[in-house]
Amino acid sequence: MADIIKNPRNGCALHGALQTVQEINGVVPVVHANAGCGVINYLANSKTTGGSARFSGYSIPGTAAQERHVIFGGASRLREQIKNTIKVVDGVLYVILNSCESAMVGDDVDAMTREIVEQHEPVVDTLIAGFNGGAHFGYEHVLADVFKSVYDVRLSETNKNSNLVNIFGIIPEKDPYWQGNIEEIKRILEGVGIKANVFFGVTGGIEDIDNAKNAALSIVFGRWGELPAKVLNEKFDIPVIQKAALPVNALEEKELIDEIGKVISLEQDVVDEFLNKELAYESNYYGRIRDEVIEHAIGKSVAIVGDEEQVIRLGRIAKDVFGAKIVAAILTDSLKKDEEHELNNDEVFASITSSVYKTSDQKDIDDIIRQSKAELVIGSSLEVNIANKAGIPLIEASYPIYHKSILNQSTSGVRGAVEFVSNYLTTVKQDEKEKTEELYNYLKQLKGQKTWQEHSSKRGQVKQLNLISELASKESI
Amino acid sequence: MAEKIGKHIAIYGKGGIGKSTTTSNISAALAEAGYRVIQIGCDPKSDSTNTLRGNNYLPTVLDSLREGNKIHLDDISVKGFGGVLCIESGGPVPGVGCAGRGINAAVNLLQELNLFEEFKPDYVLYDVLGDVVCGGFAVPIRDGITDRAYVVSSSDFMALYAANNLFKAINKYAPTGGAKLGGVIANSMKPGYHREIVEDFVAKTGTSIAGYVNRSIDVQQSELYGKTVIEAKPNSAQADIYRNLAKHIAENENLVVPNPLGSSELRDWARNWGDRIYDIESGVVGVAEAI
Ligand SMILES: Nc1ncnc2c1ncn2[C@@H]1O[C@H](COP(=O)(O)OP(=O)(O)OP(=O)(O)O)[C@@H](O)[C@H]1O
Ligand code: SF4
Ligand SMILES: [Mg+2]
Repeated sequence: MADIIKNPRNGCALHGALQTVQEINGVVPVVHANAGCGVINYLANSKTTGGSARFSGYSIPGTAAQERHVIFGGASRLREQIKNTIKVVDGVLYVILNSCESAMVGDDVDAMTREIVEQHEPVVDTLIAGFNGGAHFGYEHVLADVFKSVYDVRLSETNKNSNLVNIFGIIPEKDPYWQGNIEEIKRILEGVGIKANVFFGVTGGIEDIDNAKNAALSIVFGRWGELPAKVLNEKFDIPVIQKAALPVNALEEKELIDEIGKVISLEQDVVDEFLNKELAYESNYYGRIRDEVIEHAIGKSVAIVGDEEQVIRLGRIAKDVFGAKIVAAILTDSLKKDEEHELNNDEVFASITSSVYKTSDQKDIDDIIRQSKAELVIGSSLEVNIANKAGIPLIEASYPIYHKSILNQSTSGVRGAVEFVSNYLTTVKQDEKEKTEELYNYLKQLKGQKTWQEHSSKRGQVKQLNLISELASKESI
Repeated sequence: MAEKIGKHIAIYGKGGIGKSTTTSNISAALAEAGYRVIQIGCDPKSDSTNTLRGNNYLPTVLDSLREGNKIHLDDISVKGFGGVLCIESGGPVPGVGCAGRGINAAVNLLQELNLFEEFKPDYVLYDVLGDVVCGGFAVPIRDGITDRAYVVSSSDFMALYAANNLFKAINKYAPTGGAKLGGVIANSMKPGYHREIVEDFVAKTGTSIAGYVNRSIDVQQSELYGKTVIEAKPNSAQADIYRNLAKHIAENENLVVPNPLGSSELRDWARNWGDRIYDIESGVVGVAEAI
């Protein structure tokens, strides 16, 4: 019998594709599915990553297929929906997304798309259905499918730009900090004179899709994004650089820029000046917290839960800045058994931790965290329970996050790393404060009863020595 | 499901094997014997009841469903020979949509329309297309819609293969209230070893033969007139064959859960017969000796 997966955190391929498409300004998704598919995605994301800026979940154009579309096929319903969508929703490109329902029934979505394209409307489709994979898979495949056909249905200038780079791997709405991370990588590249096609959010848009073929290079951060980069490589001969994760310090930024410099000619003095500033920025802030790191004994054992790229990135920060020991790296990417990627991160992980797990089953995740004896968790809101049970602090940084509002904050690049570090420190300090207060209240209750040392000795997890000195200074004891 | 009105019988079998012809003649024979009969064609071709109603036009259940109007029983049924109520589920045009789901929807709709309460049939026959290719085509033998199924087969390997697939479906659904098997209707039987092949197959699968129907020119001729043999040639020997078959099916209560052969078992069994037939045809041994 198949196992039950508790709290799976990844949507289906349709959801990944929908998240991707709806975050490209100018692009309109048309979902060919039974009514619930788009709404599920909205319900899942509106409370975690703020939802889409352009569509409310209920307003996404869709066919809302019903039983008769299953029996007789939904192709003509789709034709109707595409035509109506073009009439009422402004867009420069319409992307048809397929669902399990239409794939099982075998609707000829391609034929419908061709028919509308023949009427000179800018429409492309992707035939991946929900059941083909998870959200990550949907992101990769919809972009690949868009690049395969968009240049045939939409006029765009072919004009190679030796300074232009395509950025892949940051999955909109799937990385809670996707928007900030996109802005940060754009900032870094612009800092050394490179123009970045980031596609998504406020800094991206359909122009980036149009221009992707003119880029001099594609960079893929993590494993998701290999496929669209490959399509552009095959069609337009655009070389690809792949990195395990976004950079998180000045050194990694330098390594990235040096690698880009082998393909794109950069002005060395501009690069040097930029990197010096990055280093100064980083040194300044990390210098400020040096004493605190020692005082609060922050070099803890840490378990990290999230998508592979995020785990690598956040693991590097925890290790390098705080001297943390990574006792468990839990990768939640929705990998299919036969998923093919060229990226092999074995060496990267070897430098971070020896305990790498791949699962998105909450029961497994909780067990791993418990057994790892971690003193701190970096994960999602789904790890709140286990963190509470284990009495350890949780830094929410991966999908899904319910208890924070994340807009343009980031967790990558020098600036995002500093932000994350401040977040980390705040969490540790607040946790200490809460525990101190808890013990303080407890001791207050005990006044006049047995000796308080006897009672406090039962509360093993509290750092007694620290507290005794701290409490002694409080008048009420 | 409420107390069932009438006996509900599903007829399966490989495409083109004679399901519709046989079912229609059984319906006609039952009607002739004074029973109230409904025949429901569960096939997008919607040709199951042609010979019961002289090839006249009959809108299908799904045609009406597609139009989305309120549906009345009168719109989708017509009385044919002997008062047999003819209904065709219909379905999508070939190559689009999902016919399996269509059958499901049509059968549900007929129940919602209180077809059985209104007509009060003694027998309801479901003529289901082809092989059981997906869950949709198993609908008539699932969920207690019918309690017995028959399979039409010749002695050809592919026909028996289809029968074996039906056995697998019955075997799967019977424990949870699905239909059981009434037997195999051996159709288009030519003289010679053909009977022995089918008999050997039913013995191996723990089933039985409900009747033998000869290959007969009367069948084809009646079909050309748009009639069943019972109607067109009531005094023929073929009509009596169908009457006997109908009587057996009406009375038979010996329903079984078959033991389908595994894929390799079925292949080996067929190969074995291949060798024997070769010997028989080339005159090495007689039929009796070969078995
Ligand atoms: N016993 C028989 N003798 C002669 N002809 C027969 C006999 N049984 C069936 N046929 C002929 O075989 C042809 C196919 O029969 P029929 O339409 O009943 O098959 P079917 O199984 O319902 O096919 P389908 O799977 O296409 O619905 C018809 O032309 C019919 O007249
Ligand atoms: S898995 Fe299929 S049915 Fe479920 S939401 Fe995704 S596309 Fe829709
Ligand atoms: Mg037929």
